[in-house]
Amino acid sequence: MIINFDNAATTFPKPESVKKAVAEAMDRFGGNAGRGGHPLAAATSKAVYSARETVAQFFGAEPENTVFAMNCTHALNMAIQGVMSEGGHMIISGMEHNSAARPAAKLAAEGKITLSVAPIYPESSRTVESFRSLICDDTKAIVCTIASNVTGQIMPYREVGRLCREKGICFIADGAQACGVLDIKLSDGINILCTAGHKGLYGITGTGLLVTDGKYPIKPIIQGGTGTDSMSLRQPELTPESLESGTVGVIGIMSMKAGIEFVRKKGIRRIFNHEDRICRQFIRHLQNDERITVYRSPEAGYVPIVSFNIKGIRSGDVAARLAEKGYCLRAGYHCSALAHTQLGTSDGTVRFSPSVFSREEDAAELASVLRTM
Amino acid sequence: MKECIVEMPSYTYAKKAEKLLNSRGIRAEVKRRSTGCGYMLKIYADCRSSLNILDKFGVPYFLREKSEAP
Repeated sequence: MIINFDNAATTFPKPESVKKAVAEAMDRFGGNAGRGGHPLAAATSKAVYSARETVAQFFGAEPENTVFAMNCTHALNMAIQGVMSEGGHMIISGMEHNSAARPAAKLAAEGKITLSVAPIYPESSRTVESFRSLICDDTKAIVCTIASNVTGQIMPYREVGRLCREKGICFIADGAQACGVLDIKLSDGINILCTAGHKGLYGITGTGLLVTDGKYPIKPIIQGGTGTDSMSLRQPELTPESLESGTVGVIGIMSMKAGIEFVRKKGIRRIFNHEDRICRQFIRHLQNDERITVYRSPEAGYVPIVSFNIKGIRSGDVAARLAEKGYCLRAGYHCSALAHTQLGTSDGTVRFSPSVFSREEDAAELASVLRTM
Repeated sequence: MKECIVEMPSYTYAKKAEKLLNSRGIRAEVKRRSTGCGYMLKIYADCRSSLNILDKFGVPYFLREKSEAP
């Protein structure tokens, strides 16, 4: 028996339509997208463009500003290093995943940028003020996750977007835990949205997205073949090709398109409500056990993620014991040094994250197992 | 029949241009360039009005020398 409550890492199982899209891509789209003019390449190029349109429409963007990436980390690296290539000051939130925090810290360590970390609070207004207080004349970008991958706390991303617009700062948002459960659009004030394709968008692993409004140029961090202007040794400047050197992952892209269509058909609100109900029920089952701490605050909103600890048992041991019974939960630091520093969770936490396929009865059963530990 | 050929900076822009024109009743097709890499758009209509549409939507293109003057 395997019951996956680690969907914040990657959703599993995948929808039938996604599996079908993968099989179809294997059978039909064996060409190299954007290269060559023969029938196989033409069919593949057309399919990839169609996926670009699907993604663009989903996030309120243009197809040419929709870049396929390997994962959210890849997209965030492109955005952070690409926007900050000329230096300047950058602010990241105190809840950033290492996928944003590490590239920013590396640039700062090399003396290429100056970096500030904005503490996050349960109250939106305090968080926005935290960012505002750090802005200086040289501030070029703010990087803020839309929802924490540790606690699920939803950041005041629209307010941060407004602040960035007001100050003429690029807003790079990490949508890895939000896309698919919150209706995220560039019109929320986001200049560059980076996200994973394999989490709430239900694509396969190895897929990610960078979606931009094109306002802030992104200098490519990888150069290479783009299928265009091949006799020039200069990297093309137009997106998406400027940021997509090398052959794109057609099968993954088609899985992501099918995943987004699945989410759209199911309804983002409906998916959120289903998963949120499971989380709330799970928390209710745990709340009478005084040994269990759930990392949520009544002042904040949350995507369907619950982080918790059991007093006296290390988070890794909790997850290991659950794994013996078939429950898949992630323990430890979730690649988020800043978040755990801010939360004061020196041993990390155990993270529970359902998907659209999760069942309330499984969450209730899991809670009863936890109470007996 | 009027015909116009424009070189496109990428497949993405070629496809976007094709769809923009097709949705306005103007027949256009993405073709592979005959020499080198890259794509072109063959437009089976008046060049000037077709390119005006691409300009309006900010779609970049390069006019080929032998193409009908806009």
